[in-house]
Amino acid sequence: MYGLGIVRGLGVTLKHFIDSYVDDFRWLGKRYTSREAFNVRQGVKGRGVFTVQYPEERLDIPERFRYIPFLLYEEGPNGEQVDRCTSCGICAKVCPPQCIWIERTNDPKTGRPIPAPKAFFIDIDICMNCGYCAEYCPFDAIKMDHDFEIASYDRTTRHIWNKDKLSKPVSYHAQIHPTDYAAEEAARAADEAKKAAKKAGAAKKAEESV
Amino acid sequence: MSATDELLNPDFPVPDELQSNIAITTIDKIYNWSRRSSMWPMMFGLACCAIEMICTAASRYDLSRFGMEVMRPSPRQSDLMIVSGTVTKKMVPQIVRLYNQMPEPKYVLSMGACATGGGPFKEGYNVVSGVDKYVPVDVYVPGCPPTPQALLFGLIAVQKKIDQQSILTVPWYQRGPSEAIPVPILGPDIIDPRQSDVIRVQAAKLATAATAVAELSGAAEA
Repeated sequence: MYGLGIVRGLGVTLKHFIDSYVDDFRWLGKRYTSREAFNVRQGVKGRGVFTVQYPEERLDIPERFRYIPFLLYEEGPNGEQVDRCTSCGICAKVCPPQCIWIERTNDPKTGRPIPAPKAFFIDIDICMNCGYCAEYCPFDAIKMDHDFEIASYDRTTRHIWNKDKLSKPVSYHAQIHPTDYAAEEAARAADEAKKAAKKAGAAKKAEESV
Repeated sequence: MSATDELLNPDFPVPDELQSNIAITTIDKIYNWSRRSSMWPMMFGLACCAIEMICTAASRYDLSRFGMEVMRPSPRQSDLMIVSGTVTKKMVPQIVRLYNQMPEPKYVLSMGACATGGGPFKEGYNVVSGVDKYVPVDVYVPGCPPTPQALLFGLIAVQKKIDQQSILTVPWYQRGPSEAIPVPILGPDIIDPRQSDVIRVQAAKLATAATAVAELSGAAEA
């Protein structure tokens, strides 16, 4: 029979419509008081149509969510910022749309490059949020941010981000990427233990040979 | 200060006996409020950002909470153009024509990296590096593509911009008709008619150089 598909499709819409009211009664009022109700209703177990009232309430951002990259700096004991970036330029090379621009620092005395960026720019109008820079960085110095509220009225002055704008502390990274941060720290600790063992072994060997 | 506070305590002196009975506001405020509360976007998508725009318009994020529920498929009935996606050179003439056909006041929101600056296709042979080279853009939303929430943030930014405008200064209430943007011409490459004078000068220069070379070679042969 013709038209059955249309009726079935309309049935789905009707089901969603009724489900949203049924769910509203089940969670009666809890939506506005508990975050748990909100998360269940907008998740896979939620039934019916559920609207996120954006500026007042927002979805939980998943850890692997990617937006514009940011640079990490370690906070020194006196509050100074120590950049993790060594201006090696790997991120600029792997960037598919080529939106990263790095300038190296040169030692004023010798004229040789120092592992620190003099300038670091990202054109966020070119960035395609792929996360290759964060993936390839050997020093974990660049990560993908979660901040998406960056609309502006002028692109020429606001959309080329410099190092000041991009830099964020490591604690921020630990806060938004807890799993990644724990894995990185574990890997670093293992690496350092290995190095120390190697050093100790070498020292022992030297002693024996003497 | 909330809107009601502002209405109840205006700068204008109100007699005591009328204190709670009258409200004083400016025409700008009422006018901007009504305009920003009924922005109708144009139903017009170019690439993958359009999928996010559709998602924003659907029930989960629901544009109608901002008075934008009716996406008009006709430029004659819309106030806001969401340029959602890669602007190819082939599409620019149509976009400019649609912009010209929109009634004033009109706003443009450039959504995503491609529409704003060319994105991953920047400097490509077929992609315009930024729609703002052809139409005036009010708000830029970066992202590739921006999530529905990021787009909503951009739309709220448009509303904030409208709130700051005044009838006296906006370009569409000045004397005389406003000029339409000349539609770009698609040839082997895109040509902006606003630059035709420059192109003509360059072409004339090239032509004189070519004739000079031809004369020289002719003289050499003779």
